[in-house]
Amino acid sequence: MSGAVAVRRRAIPGALVWGGIIVGAIALLAVLGPWIVPYDPDAFSVRNRLQPPSGTFWFGTDEFGRDVFSRVLAGAHYSLAMGFGATALSLAFGIPLGLIAAFDRGWLSEAIMRAVDVLISVPPILLGLLVLAVTEPALWKTVVAVGLVYVPIMTRIVRAVGLGLLAEDFVQAARARGESAAWILAVDILPNAWPPIIVETALRITFAILLGSALSFLGLGAQPPASEWGLMIAESRPFIEQAPWIGLAPGLCLCILLIAVNLLGEGLRELLDPRLRGRG
Amino acid sequence: MASYIARRLVAVLGVLWAMTLLIFGIVHLLPGNVAYMILGEYATADAIATLEARLGLNDPIYVQYWRWFTGLLGGDFGQSLVMDRPAGPLIAEALGRSAILAGISIVLVAIIGIALGIHSAVHKGTLSDRLLTLLQYFFIAVPEFFWCILLILFFAAWLGWLPATGYTPLAEGGLVGWGVHLILPVFTLVSGLIAHVSRLTRSSMLETLDSGYVLAARARGVPERLVLRRHALPNALLPTVTVLAVDVGILIGGIVVVETVFAYPGLGRLLIFAIENHDVPLLMAGMMVVTTVYAVANLVADILYAFLNPRIRYGRAAA
Amino acid sequence: MADAPLLSLDALSVTYATGRGPLAALQDVSLAIPKGGAMGLVGESGSGKSSVVLAILGLLGEGARVTAAAARFDGHDLFAEAPALRGRRIGVVFQDPSAALNPALTVGSQVAEPLVLHRGMSQEDAAARAVSLLSEVGLPRAEAVARAYPHQLSGGMKQRAVIAGALACEPDLLLLDEPTTALDVTVEAQILDLLEGLRKSRGLSLLLVSHNLGIVDRLCDDLTVLYAGRVVEQGPAEALLGVPSHPYTRGLLGALPRADRGRIGRLVPIPGGLPDLTQPDPGCNFRARCAFAEPACAAPQVLAPVRSGADASRLARCHKAGENLIWPVPDEAVRRHRGEGDILLAAEGLSRSFALGGLLGRLSFRNGIPRLAPQAEVRAVDGVTLSVRAGEVLGLVGESGCGKTTLGRLVLRLIASDSGTLRFAGELVPDKPGAAFRRRAQIVFQNPDSSLNPRKTVAEIIRRPVTLFGIARGAEADAEVDRLLELVRLSPAYRGRYPHQLSGGEKQRIGIARALASRPDFLVCDEAVSALDVSVQAAVLNLLDDLRDRLGVAYLFISHDIGVIAHVADRIAVMYRGKVVEEGPARAVLAPPYHPYTEALLSAVPLVGSSGRAAARIRLAGDVSSAAGAGGCPFAHRCPRRIGPVCDTVVPPVLEPKKGHRIACHLPLETLAAVPPALGWA
Repeated sequence: MSGAVAVRRRAIPGALVWGGIIVGAIALLAVLGPWIVPYDPDAFSVRNRLQPPSGTFWFGTDEFGRDVFSRVLAGAHYSLAMGFGATALSLAFGIPLGLIAAFDRGWLSEAIMRAVDVLISVPPILLGLLVLAVTEPALWKTVVAVGLVYVPIMTRIVRAVGLGLLAEDFVQAARARGESAAWILAVDILPNAWPPIIVETALRITFAILLGSALSFLGLGAQPPASEWGLMIAESRPFIEQAPWIGLAPGLCLCILLIAVNLLGEGLRELLDPRLRGRG
Repeated sequence: MASYIARRLVAVLGVLWAMTLLIFGIVHLLPGNVAYMILGEYATADAIATLEARLGLNDPIYVQYWRWFTGLLGGDFGQSLVMDRPAGPLIAEALGRSAILAGISIVLVAIIGIALGIHSAVHKGTLSDRLLTLLQYFFIAVPEFFWCILLILFFAAWLGWLPATGYTPLAEGGLVGWGVHLILPVFTLVSGLIAHVSRLTRSSMLETLDSGYVLAARARGVPERLVLRRHALPNALLPTVTVLAVDVGILIGGIVVVETVFAYPGLGRLLIFAIENHDVPLLMAGMMVVTTVYAVANLVADILYAFLNPRIRYGRAAA
Repeated sequence: MADAPLLSLDALSVTYATGRGPLAALQDVSLAIPKGGAMGLVGESGSGKSSVVLAILGLLGEGARVTAAAARFDGHDLFAEAPALRGRRIGVVFQDPSAALNPALTVGSQVAEPLVLHRGMSQEDAAARAVSLLSEVGLPRAEAVARAYPHQLSGGMKQRAVIAGALACEPDLLLLDEPTTALDVTVEAQILDLLEGLRKSRGLSLLLVSHNLGIVDRLCDDLTVLYAGRVVEQGPAEALLGVPSHPYTRGLLGALPRADRGRIGRLVPIPGGLPDLTQPDPGCNFRARCAFAEPACAAPQVLAPVRSGADASRLARCHKAGENLIWPVPDEAVRRHRGEGDILLAAEGLSRSFALGGLLGRLSFRNGIPRLAPQAEVRAVDGVTLSVRAGEVLGLVGESGCGKTTLGRLVLRLIASDSGTLRFAGELVPDKPGAAFRRRAQIVFQNPDSSLNPRKTVAEIIRRPVTLFGIARGAEADAEVDRLLELVRLSPAYRGRYPHQLSGGEKQRIGIARALASRPDFLVCDEAVSALDVSVQAAVLNLLDDLRDRLGVAYLFISHDIGVIAHVADRIAVMYRGKVVEEGPARAVLAPPYHPYTEALLSAVPLVGSSGRAAARIRLAGDVSSAAGAGGCPFAHRCPRRIGPVCDTVVPPVLEPKKGHRIACHLPLETLAAVPPALGWA
């Protein structure tokens, strides 16, 4: 037992800084998009069809003569909405369900965990496809579908974190005082459960962006003329040899966003829980 | 061990049964009339009535479920509406082609991913480890569908080395004709997963190398290569097996995308076809098959895990 | 001593690279072990003792820088040839046998491995030799053990297997790094016997690293005492422990609760904690904690003979070592025996079982036919009846898995009991007790790291029970927090600190303050000092003692450490496999007549300065997990005094040699009373 008091202040990891800066910049562009786009992202211009990148059209134009740069900029909010919206949804359901499953020792917890077992046995994209197949595609439905896909995973993680904390002696001490379940939850569990949940959230955002844009790419998400990046890439396929910039621009932006969110998650992991391992 | 496998099998069957409820439930209980959904908004009342009669949609819902469920058990996967053929053979044919893609991919992912992960762990902190870590970041972040576009652009459009799309059966095109259609899809599928597997293998290998029994083996004078091969590796691969099973799920997602882009006539493309054409029976059957494949992959992983892990292979009974 | 020593280290230093700069883990450590000799290396956590072992093996890893004036093993340069010596001439046994054995390989193959590698034996010959090694270290049915995987063996069996592996190539030197710390005391005694026997039969040299003075005293000729990376004292074990010279060694012995001394006086804690090793002190690095420090201690101290001339084998790193240094004993507590009060807590027939495995886990298949096995259960606590009087300390002692922690939670109604009743101050306590019981019955935990919410300040932690139970509000509550801090001897400056800014002993004090905040009458102390080093433990034990005298709190004091129990308890209850096998006043339980299990437990305790105790040693075979029959005495399967089948099948009668002293045993009282004392005092 070291008597020397070690006041640990971990340095903020570089990954977190860079990831944060890039994600922040993209978010800023997404918000400012409508005011700073040089052209109307949905305006056709037969005269300017399939123009290569130039000083006038930074990322070129597509088959309808729409400015790709403007479209990419206007499309940023779709990916962010899908990533953050779907993850928020999975948290909104996953945290309460996971906590109930951790607290309850009876049939309720059993029922939740069996349902989670079943839903986790479906490949994520299939669950999304299934929901989207039976209704007319729309962006909000994609967000909901992707969010629901990750609810069982969140539930499982929150439950594991909750069970670990419930076994801690300070929770036993609270029970020995006769504290209510609500108090234990609010004071002893939740404040200590955040770090692993935040790390997992960052990971989920990456997957949600990937899955959401893949569904849009398959035609099951955002619908034309939306400039969602996955959809833009799908629409660029017939012109891939003629005008590769139509697909490359949104694709590269998507990659940058994903790498940045990944960095953010990695940095958070380093900062909050060096032992936590990544999962799929 | 036999009891363990049997228990897992029971669990898998339970999950699959629950999936029949889920798939049937989503398709039939979600707001919206199935016949209307299939035929679209311009359908006449007559056409809807005919289709409802044909699909037995007027029967009580549990009768419909029971008919579908017993059909599945008896190997009757229903009738594809669009192609007007039994769904079973359609799916079987597509499944075979997808299995080739998936099989090659998962083997490559396992071999290359594990090898790179071990290399990184053993040479932790060296240039090659850092380089691999950097590449992993990049490969994990590139979406499959964008990979497809990049590869087609580069190898098919610019270099012209490989066909952009399509599929040639082995019997027609020979090994080369068949193989060239696989290269780009397989590359797309494995790139992200190799990064994923190698990253996790690296961390589990590092953890194992830090363990008490590795220290004990070194203290016993076991040479380093034997420490790695005999003491560290079998234990380090346990989490990797679980990760590979999870990755089969990601792989299935990838296959849907890749088959669509490369016009590869597999199960993923069939599913998208069924969705686009509102072919409900084909969709339900296809979903069920894909889920089963995933469940079986997980079962295999569980068994492999048990085989590698004496704590499961042999019970707790004291010697 | 004409022979050159087998192992000699001269000025060994180890520095670790850390985020806060280089950390001097070992500074100028010198020691020598003659052929056939046994050296004990003693120190508390952070002393650097394990680094010595790894440095000898050359396995310190990349972050460590090792230097030495000379390091020789039987004429060889140790550092140059360590890889060739490991496993061949130097064997190692690490602390945790569960970690030291590879879970994926059979025990036999791991024992045989060095034989194949170093002796060039064939797999078959090596496997056969492994079996005979396993039986040599006292494992019954060695063939089956060799075929088993580590998880199938108990802790004691694993440690025997590890020892067998270390002995495979007939090494000259065996390094033992806390070899019994992870084991129960009865199993520890078996392992120590084994090592003692091996040393004699094989002429082995030993380097035994331990924090436990009793163990090194039993096994070693010479001792080296390590403090914060420096050797503070060295010499023959008996002389050194008999009359220690260095203030640290003296303090260590004074802080140790000793089973053979029972409840005597006060322990002498050493104040403060380890110095910061990233800023090594050129002077004596113990002086900040030393009761005898003076300005001269700031000068560098050398390890020198205690008295010039006569005995050159006694060395100490202190310029005052020759003086008769007596640590000041803290104020003698009143030590009233409070066992005469009314019965405060009374448990009757408490039982609790835990189910093993879920529904699917119970499913098995035989010849393809599914079977649902009945729900498997462990009876953690099995019909326990006991009582605690107001202001009394009931010590509850037993080995791991005996159910003592479960019992502690049952009497607080933290887990529900399956059957039995619980009364507190004469009133029946329901399954979900009200605030009155919660206020009056509190708990102190073992693990200081887990017992405090890391996101709360000390003041918030202590204040909560004060306000929750309406003891005080607002500014009054703040004053109460200060009062409680003062009660556990911490200054009000601690109010704003977070748990991670506290040392282990400080955390434990906060845990005690929190438990006392509701002004309880009854406290369960669940291994409350087990995670602490001896010097810190003594302070916490003294504190608990004082609190009892000042506040009249009764304790159920749970511990596996008989020394601690003997020191604190008015009465003692001994638990085995969920049952209390003996209960009575402390002095009665610690002297004959004993329950055979109590006898075995007490004779297993390694005592300091009782090397001659070997005469009446009782040893148990196997361990708690060895299969037992149902219905009879829970101890029958391991009992060295077992009479016959009656022990297995018939519940033993309760003998009462004295009023309040109860022994559950089939043996006649006369036989039990005729047993020689196991601790050396009666």
